[in-house]
Amino acid sequence: MDKVAFSSWNGKIVDNRKGKVSKALKAADMKLPKLSDGKKAKALMGWNGLVMMDPKADVLSLTLNYLKEIRKISCGECSVCMIGIDKLLDMFELMTEGFGDKGILAEMEQIVKGVSEGAKCAFGQSALLPVLDAVKYYQSDFLALMKGEKKLGGAECESSVTAPCMEACPAGLDVPGYIELIKNNKFKDSLNLIRENCILPGVVGRVCTHPCEDACVRNDVDEPLAIRLLKKAAADFDIQDGGGSLGVPAGEKEEKVAIIGAGPAGLAAAYNLRSMGYGVTIFEALSQAGGMAAVGIPEYRLPLDILSHEIDLIKRMGVEIRLNTKVEKLDFNNLKKQGYQSVFVAVGAHQGNKMGVEGEDQESEGLVDGVEFLRDLNLGKKIEPKKKVLIIGGGDVAIDCARSCVRLGFKDVEIVYRRSRVEMPARDEEIEGAEEEGINIRYLTAPLEINAKDGKFESLGCIKMKLGKPDESGRKRPVPVKGSEFTIGAEMIIAAIGQSPKLPVVTDKKKLGTTAWGTIKADPVSYMTDVKGIFAGGDCVTGAATLIEALNAGNQVARSIDCYLQGGRLNGKMSFEGVDVAKQRGQGFIGKNPANRVNLLDKKKRVGGFAEIEGGFDAAEAMKEAQRCLRCYRVVVWETAR
Amino acid sequence: MVNIVINGRKVRAKDGSTILENARDLKLDIPTLCHHDDLSPFGACRLCTVEVKANGKWQIATSCNTAVESGMEIRTNSSKALESRKMAAELLYYKYPETEAVREIAEKLGVDVFEEKGEENDCILCGLCIRACKEIVGVSALTFQDRGLGRDLEEPQIEFDPNACIGCGSCAYVCPTGYVKMESEDDKIIIWNKVFKMTPCKVCGRFFAPEDQLRYISKTTGVPFSNLTTCVSCR
Repeated sequence: MDKVAFSSWNGKIVDNRKGKVSKALKAADMKLPKLSDGKKAKALMGWNGLVMMDPKADVLSLTLNYLKEIRKISCGECSVCMIGIDKLLDMFELMTEGFGDKGILAEMEQIVKGVSEGAKCAFGQSALLPVLDAVKYYQSDFLALMKGEKKLGGAECESSVTAPCMEACPAGLDVPGYIELIKNNKFKDSLNLIRENCILPGVVGRVCTHPCEDACVRNDVDEPLAIRLLKKAAADFDIQDGGGSLGVPAGEKEEKVAIIGAGPAGLAAAYNLRSMGYGVTIFEALSQAGGMAAVGIPEYRLPLDILSHEIDLIKRMGVEIRLNTKVEKLDFNNLKKQGYQSVFVAVGAHQGNKMGVEGEDQESEGLVDGVEFLRDLNLGKKIEPKKKVLIIGGGDVAIDCARSCVRLGFKDVEIVYRRSRVEMPARDEEIEGAEEEGINIRYLTAPLEINAKDGKFESLGCIKMKLGKPDESGRKRPVPVKGSEFTIGAEMIIAAIGQSPKLPVVTDKKKLGTTAWGTIKADPVSYMTDVKGIFAGGDCVTGAATLIEALNAGNQVARSIDCYLQGGRLNGKMSFEGVDVAKQRGQGFIGKNPANRVNLLDKKKRVGGFAEIEGGFDAAEAMKEAQRCLRCYRVVVWETAR
Repeated sequence: MVNIVINGRKVRAKDGSTILENARDLKLDIPTLCHHDDLSPFGACRLCTVEVKANGKWQIATSCNTAVESGMEIRTNSSKALESRKMAAELLYYKYPETEAVREIAEKLGVDVFEEKGEENDCILCGLCIRACKEIVGVSALTFQDRGLGRDLEEPQIEFDPNACIGCGSCAYVCPTGYVKMESEDDKIIIWNKVFKMTPCKVCGRFFAPEDQLRYISKTTGVPFSNLTTCVSCR
């Protein structure tokens, strides 16, 4: 794209008008929010500034449209922001009717400054500022409007709203929105809003890796909002109130969709497709629906009744789940004959990876892989506690296995990890929890050999490691220390070093394309595989990833399948990729106010049972926590090229 | 206790106390419309702004909901603080020119206010009624209407839940503008358009409290309803 005529983005003024090229700047080089589907913008106004790509763009209409859009987000809770915007809109009307002079522009400036300085939330402190740029750098346009020399052109505009937490959330939840509802004592409305993008709120409220909290602007002030716990509160209060239902489909459609796998991706797609009116059948290999949420996460983190309740709600909408139905061969033609016009493959990644050490391929008693161990545990298989168990790996699965072993009564639980604590992919709170429960973590140690005697695991040959140069993942590569081999004796060893999907074989002529990592190839936008009508998403496409990512894949697949079946076009979304949405011009004062805490189960009560560790907020605590939200909504309005 | 500086004076302040509390202890006049000593601070009216030195620079902050921190410097009467208050008052007056409470405070803060007395009692969304209902009464019959993404509202309002309200009138008592009205007629009172039956005192016969309120007190305290039907003067 051409160089921009004017920009105040991030508060940096670049003015290329009138030939006085201060510094040529191309829109393509700037990290700006983008319109969907490659559409071009003539100009944009957003929380961070005004950018005029086309010198002939209509700055007056853009400003007016921007004011109208921010008026919708302004909450009216403090007296300056909403009234200030209203007054600016009234002044705009006066100017359009031919009233006013430079004085009115000075007054506008005063209002913008006063509101930005005095508003209660981050939205009010930042949203009005770009108007100042328009008034200051495009003063002649405003004066011409007042004199009647210029008319409002009625330029075509599009707008979008985001926030740092919303951008960070893989499923794009309206985080400030549902927090505000909790603040206003509307827990049920909050839950309904959460469910628009997250149909397993009680599950996600417990196990989500909450990237939203890492993005929370409060990190710079005190502590992030306890967003995950607020979601948990909304979900749990609903269960306490009797649970309710998810509503009825919009109207029945003729088409049916088959979903393979009742994990988070499959369930999310099923819910959304059923809401649109499609008949949905999920084929699930295991005796329990929920995928990794059911068999990959131990109960002390996610009680089964929470998951079962949320699955029940989806079933009650008319989604059929056929348990114990393994689809090893996917015969699309046969499914079509049964009325399924489309298939969503969401089989997850349930096969443990090999450690790649000697003796691993021989079956030995006491040698298991992590996902299998957790699956057996969650499906109720009796696991006899041994004296000593080794867990190989540094991810969440390794920690889940180790902490489960403590609860099962294993006396000595040790994790063996080849890098150091810094590189450990498991979440900090999980590692701390494990340490608290007496689990020993042996860092910088790699397994070499499985030693078994009479078919029974006996000891693990290991080698010490040291950290070398960073590898492609950016983490320091572990290098063996020569001559440091040693052995650890134990009765059981759990390999938890990652998992891969086990894919069904498509029997039709065209095969599902796969990647070098053994995952299914699917289009990143439409989620369609190489076989028309077959879609894939979740862990079986991405490799083992987070629950919320799988859930989002399910949401997106549902949209895409709907477009495919109805012959519609899949609309893209406006994108804030690469834009620093946390950054805000005119950051006002924010007083310190640390996060509210929940109780954790006493350490002594953790051994011998799988009771949930983490408590929850009561209503008053949740509302108090919600008060801390800074409401960092960011609004952007584009003037689109016709 | 922490050491703070208010208008150049060194002050020992209680941990967790607000700037407003400390300023008022020093008899410094800071205007407020949405503050009540017995309710949690809310920061809605923006009339109590002061200047606070944070990260090395002076910034505007509302005194009612900003807790003091060790070494904090505060100016309650700087021209910037006064300007900020005036801007908030001006905007409130712009929106609610006929509401007397707004006119009074605006005039005090230097806004040009028309001479005729105001005839309206607008809701200025200060949230005092909501907080009183939730924090003092424990009922939460009042809430802010929600705004935000995809929920565009022309004029945000207070929502009333008639099923939760016990007719106690606390909201009318704390309302600074007279928007929340409670009308009483012998054996009934009307609040938020809901009619409540009053209970007569079993001694003097005077109607003294809404039946729903007495039933709520009975439920929360465990005192039998019949023990509550005597008015304060006859007890």
